[in-house]
Amino acid sequence: MKDGNAIEVKNITKKFKIYYDKGRMLKEKVLFWKRNKYDVHWVLNGISFEVKKGEAVGIVGHNGCGKSTTLKLLTGIMYPDGGTVELRGRVSSLLELGAGFHPDLSGRENIYINASIFGLSRKEIDKRIDKIIDFSELRDFMDDPVRTYSSGMYMRLAFSVAINVDADILLIDEILAVGDVNFQSKCFQKLKDIKKNGTTIVIVSHAMEQIEKICDRSIWIHEGKIRAEGQPGEVHREYLAYMENMRRENRSPLEGTEKQEEKREKERDAHHRGTGEARILSVETLNRSGEKTKVFSTDESVIFRVYYEVYEEIKQVFFGLSIFRNDGVRCYGSNSKADGMPAVTLKNNGFFEVEFTENQLLQGKYYLDVCIATGTEEMVDYYDTVDGFEVYSPYGDVGAVRMKHKWELHVGEGI
Amino acid sequence: MKLMKELWNYREMIISLVKRDLKSRYKGSVLGFLWMLLNPLLQLCVYTAVFSVIMRTGIEKYYLFLFVALVPWIFFSTCLSGGTTIIFAQKDMVKKIYFPRQVLPIVFTTSQFINMLLSFIIIFIVVFFSGIGLHARALVYLPLVMAMEYILALGITFLASALTVYFRDLEHILGIVSMAWMYLTPVLYDISSVPEKYLPVFQLNPMTPIIIAYRDILYYGRTPQLGTLQSALLLGVLVMAVGGLTFKILQRHFVEEL
Repeated sequence: MKDGNAIEVKNITKKFKIYYDKGRMLKEKVLFWKRNKYDVHWVLNGISFEVKKGEAVGIVGHNGCGKSTTLKLLTGIMYPDGGTVELRGRVSSLLELGAGFHPDLSGRENIYINASIFGLSRKEIDKRIDKIIDFSELRDFMDDPVRTYSSGMYMRLAFSVAINVDADILLIDEILAVGDVNFQSKCFQKLKDIKKNGTTIVIVSHAMEQIEKICDRSIWIHEGKIRAEGQPGEVHREYLAYMENMRRENRSPLEGTEKQEEKREKERDAHHRGTGEARILSVETLNRSGEKTKVFSTDESVIFRVYYEVYEEIKQVFFGLSIFRNDGVRCYGSNSKADGMPAVTLKNNGFFEVEFTENQLLQGKYYLDVCIATGTEEMVDYYDTVDGFEVYSPYGDVGAVRMKHKWELHVGEGI
Repeated sequence: MKLMKELWNYREMIISLVKRDLKSRYKGSVLGFLWMLLNPLLQLCVYTAVFSVIMRTGIEKYYLFLFVALVPWIFFSTCLSGGTTIIFAQKDMVKKIYFPRQVLPIVFTTSQFINMLLSFIIIFIVVFFSGIGLHARALVYLPLVMAMEYILALGITFLASALTVYFRDLEHILGIVSMAWMYLTPVLYDISSVPEKYLPVFQLNPMTPIIIAYRDILYYGRTPQLGTLQSALLLGVLVMAVGGLTFKILQRHFVEEL
């Protein structure tokens, strides 16, 4: 290993066997050994990287790209099929918090068990116990059995042990979502301190902003290979742009299977109310070129196409549409009357479209409510949809919608 | 060697997991720790009642004859059949945290071993008052025999725990095997009642010399024969070597198989 390096990974490969018909039993293995056919799936196809001592590196990639496997190979939980992994110094991994906790034992006893699993000796734990208890803010509960703890307290205790191991190399998998906001920021601060003290850190996470705040470098793993490496900000922009493209090709996780679709159909009745002369059948979300999609980026045009069925003729009809964020905030709503459209008479089935040119919604998941109402404000059909869509924002601003604004900086001019 | 050093670094984990195991077993019950003594005592009462009142055998003080062999046997058979579950029981830990996997079988065997030692307190008391008495010259050998059984049991636990990860029905198979094994070991009877032509089978059974040695020391109050000790040691170390090696190889893919 080169001087100054804490981790050296050379050309590691890892395959998983995916059995068609997994015979778990001895009997099956013996009797049907021919049936034990499997596909070999290469999770990692030759990954090499080095991490310098004291450096913090983030690993990003979509689900199943092999980033967690990489981390597991680093910890030594799994062994690579090819290549070598070398680490220098004591390794602590925050992959599983509260390992070995026993609900009937006291907080203090559990600290000893948990810390010992990280490979600490009794002396080392004795030295750290006060630090651990202080960090967890649970001093008054130390002698109560852990089963009396709330889940937040439990996680706080677990995290406090893990973070106080004082490892030379810290491996973290997606766990900075511990406890309340205060404790989270405390953990984050602690992580920064740890880094300052020269600990090497490797983080696997979907939370890009966390990586950007801590890491010096980001590695994007794609289909078992390193696709990009460098400044976290740059790598993440590249990665997000790629992911957005993927989603446009309609591989969105929101897209249900047919069976789910059927089930949804049944549930739909529960989402309608009104006098019922006409009914909204479905809502499609389309992009500018008229392709169905459920994922948009900010600034992209969104078209909602609403199909309805008419059972009895109704006169003086208007249509309405509202967009809700998935936490219930109504981001926007309007109707054809308010927008100055004439009332219509419904006789036959049909559809209407609403286009939001350059939608200004920011990142999030959204739902639609759609309605058909008469001029006397009587609701014919109000449909709170279960269909949603997602918006991804390439910008760094936050909130529900983008508001036009400009900055003027008067620096050094005095007040 | 590297493994030994690593296990030494993880000694605190072994100690605290054994403690956790023992502490949690009787936690919450009214009598608590006393159960560890009460359990073997009640067992002994049952045997005494059955074998001195109902089913009488030609062997003098049969309940003791049986008990001094049965306690070590239970330790061994628990390792054989209970060893199958230990990796599964700690599945989350094995999948998420690095530690030498050997820790888990060691913890299991050790806590079973400590259980056996507690039963021995009862054995000593009963043997002392039963008229047989404790013979110091014989008792010197007891720690040695116990150590040999520990090595053997650890080897078996290594084997059972590692293989079950790959062949899950071993759990059920080993339950039967352990029962059959008991009848093929002179636990219920004396080795002298085994027909000569079957003796070689018994000599290959690593538990045979160990049970004989226990009985020599505690029931007959005599020092075990050198040959018995030799074969106990030889077979024990052999099983341990095979078990340890098997475990070392198989543990590489535990995470994928779990």
